[in-house]
Amino acid sequence: MAILAFRDLVKSYGQTLALCGVTFEVQSGEIFGLLGPNGAGKSTLIRILMDIIRPDSGEVCVFGEPRRREHLDRMGYLPEERGIYTKLTVLDVMTYFGTLKGLTRAGARQRAAEWLERVELPQVSTWKVDRLSKGMSQKVQIASVLMSDPELCVLDEPTTGLDPVNVRMVQDLLLERRQRGRTTILSTHHMNQVEALCDGVALINKGRLVVYGTVDEVRRRHSLPEVRVYGSGILPPVPEISDVVDEAAGVWRLMLSDGTGPADALTALVRAGARIDRYEPMLAPMEDIFLRVVREEAA
Amino acid sequence: MTRWHKVRTVATFEFLTAVKRPGYLIATFGMPLFVAAYGAVVAIPAYFAAQKDKAEALYGVVDRVAVLALDGDAAAPTIQIPEDVRDTLESVGQGAALAKALEDSNFVFRPFDSEATARSALVGREIQGYFVLGEDYMTTGRVDMYAPDTISLSRGDSRGAFANLVRERLANGRVEPGLAARLISPVKDPRRYSITRTGEVTDGGQAASAVRLAVPLVFIVLFLMSVLMTAGYLMQGTATEKENKVVDVLLASANPDEILSGKLLGLGGAGLLQIGVWLLMALGTAIGVVPLLLTSGIQIPWLAVALAVPLFLIAFLFFGSLILGTGSLGSNIREAQQLAMVWSLTAAVPLMLMSVLISEPHGTTAKVMTWIPFSSGSIIMLRASMDPDFLAWWEIAGSILVLIGSTWLAIKLGARLFRVGLLSSGARPSLREIIRQARLT
Repeated sequence: MAILAFRDLVKSYGQTLALCGVTFEVQSGEIFGLLGPNGAGKSTLIRILMDIIRPDSGEVCVFGEPRRREHLDRMGYLPEERGIYTKLTVLDVMTYFGTLKGLTRAGARQRAAEWLERVELPQVSTWKVDRLSKGMSQKVQIASVLMSDPELCVLDEPTTGLDPVNVRMVQDLLLERRQRGRTTILSTHHMNQVEALCDGVALINKGRLVVYGTVDEVRRRHSLPEVRVYGSGILPPVPEISDVVDEAAGVWRLMLSDGTGPADALTALVRAGARIDRYEPMLAPMEDIFLRVVREEAA
Repeated sequence: MTRWHKVRTVATFEFLTAVKRPGYLIATFGMPLFVAAYGAVVAIPAYFAAQKDKAEALYGVVDRVAVLALDGDAAAPTIQIPEDVRDTLESVGQGAALAKALEDSNFVFRPFDSEATARSALVGREIQGYFVLGEDYMTTGRVDMYAPDTISLSRGDSRGAFANLVRERLANGRVEPGLAARLISPVKDPRRYSITRTGEVTDGGQAASAVRLAVPLVFIVLFLMSVLMTAGYLMQGTATEKENKVVDVLLASANPDEILSGKLLGLGGAGLLQIGVWLLMALGTAIGVVPLLLTSGIQIPWLAVALAVPLFLIAFLFFGSLILGTGSLGSNIREAQQLAMVWSLTAAVPLMLMSVLISEPHGTTAKVMTWIPFSSGSIIMLRASMDPDFLAWWEIAGSILVLIGSTWLAIKLGARLFRVGLLSSGARPSLREIIRQARLT
């Protein structure tokens, strides 16, 4: 079931077209990667989703109906350009953001305290925000967004500036949300995170949707016809294989001939007497796909 | 549609944040102390000056025509203080001291045989000056005054006192005592009455006029102070949010109407609380005024008093919306204050036209301004206080309705400008961009 749908969104800033007919859906309970180079239109799309700016045309549907202001209480948002009130205490700021999302004041304070424990910062609750380090501030902001347990949450570059330990902690929080059926839209430039976390992806470039689907689909669709073979002995030549690269002892990367599928090549190799222990189609890394698509668009 | 729980959340946050600021607490409780300290600094030299004034001021008199018949030091006749002036002074706690200062005529005039001896006394600073009545005095009335070559503010008073002495001495023995008293003091204890347009006789004394004028004046001054102070808080708060990049988080949780209304109520409440504290402190020091006013028979303009709070709040929301919306378009706090200045100045227009409005509270200017939302609050207060009989109920109801409608529009317009302002970063958006963005609903 689609929890979010963008339909033919168009948005321009003066003469600059920021979004041009963007249409895609996000399924409930998944972590969805929103990708694109800088200035592609991701932030514009997110701000339209959060009703911060209005599209010139098109429609945004959330929770199965056209988005209304009331829906925002069920949604969370961590903007890319973010900040918090620096002169207030951490607990006061988190309480305010929680109450803005519909929590009671007492409930928000309790949740804030719990979430500070979860992000391993219980000691900062009474600190003024300007006393926090950059990483601490980032974790407080993530906790502020997640403490209201939004059904749909948009996190724009949530791990920028965090050390690997804290990156892992944030990833664990997102995975836990997915286990509980919560949907997260993750806007990031870290493709390894997309591969590790995301179920679906959309890549926007110059305001247009250029790649969309599940991560596996996208990787298959954009991968070269290559397979990796683990075995022993000599790999016999067959017409279905156009090129062979020795990667290590007993490990080969095979380029398939035009029109040949991985299964056909495997069948041909076995018939030719090859001794194969493991055989896997090679999926292109998301980073390669990202670079290739963006470069092709630029060309 | 505005969700009031969001408005309440924003308002509570803004109020608590504002009132906990050290700057706010210092201003709220420190300002009266500062004013008191300032008053003390001013009062101390004034006290010593008053003490000095109480000391005998000795002047010489050279009477060449012998009309004064001074055979020794003579004091000038005392000056009568009108009763209502005395009441007014007493009501503000200053009456006794001032009346005493006026009544205690401390000018003493000493006769000298010749101008040479008087001048010698003046050179020796035994006297503060001397008067010479020439031989042609009875035909010309000319009197020469000689004083040290220094500046003295009391010399004018000495001339008045000497004139009183001359009047008394001229009349003494020449006319019957009753007439002499009237010649010296021709208008004694004048009592003033006012006739309203309905023919009713009311107290026309200065105290009554002061009360009728004080109610709208206090209203307008407090209103201006609130608008200016709250404008400062609003500008500062919005600039901080833009600077701290909290704007997107706020707009993703509440719509601009809700944020704007919440800020107005929260920061406005903080501003009003501050003024309330100052007002209470001021009333505390002049607590004796209230029973005096209630027992003096002076008519309190109850209609104006009753209208003060609702008019204050509605007009405050009206100006606050415009100030916040316009100010948020500024790229920094100084630019924001410059942009919002136009509304602060507009709010001050009734004060600028006060002399015209007081002289003609139901004149064309006042009647037109009653219907203009920028001035209607202040003008209704003025008219209701100065001459309530000729302020029609439909004028009150109509102008309040206009003000409420204008406030609603101002909140809507302010919210749109607020959204444009919050989302703009860097340079101030152009007028065309503002209009384009504001039209997006």
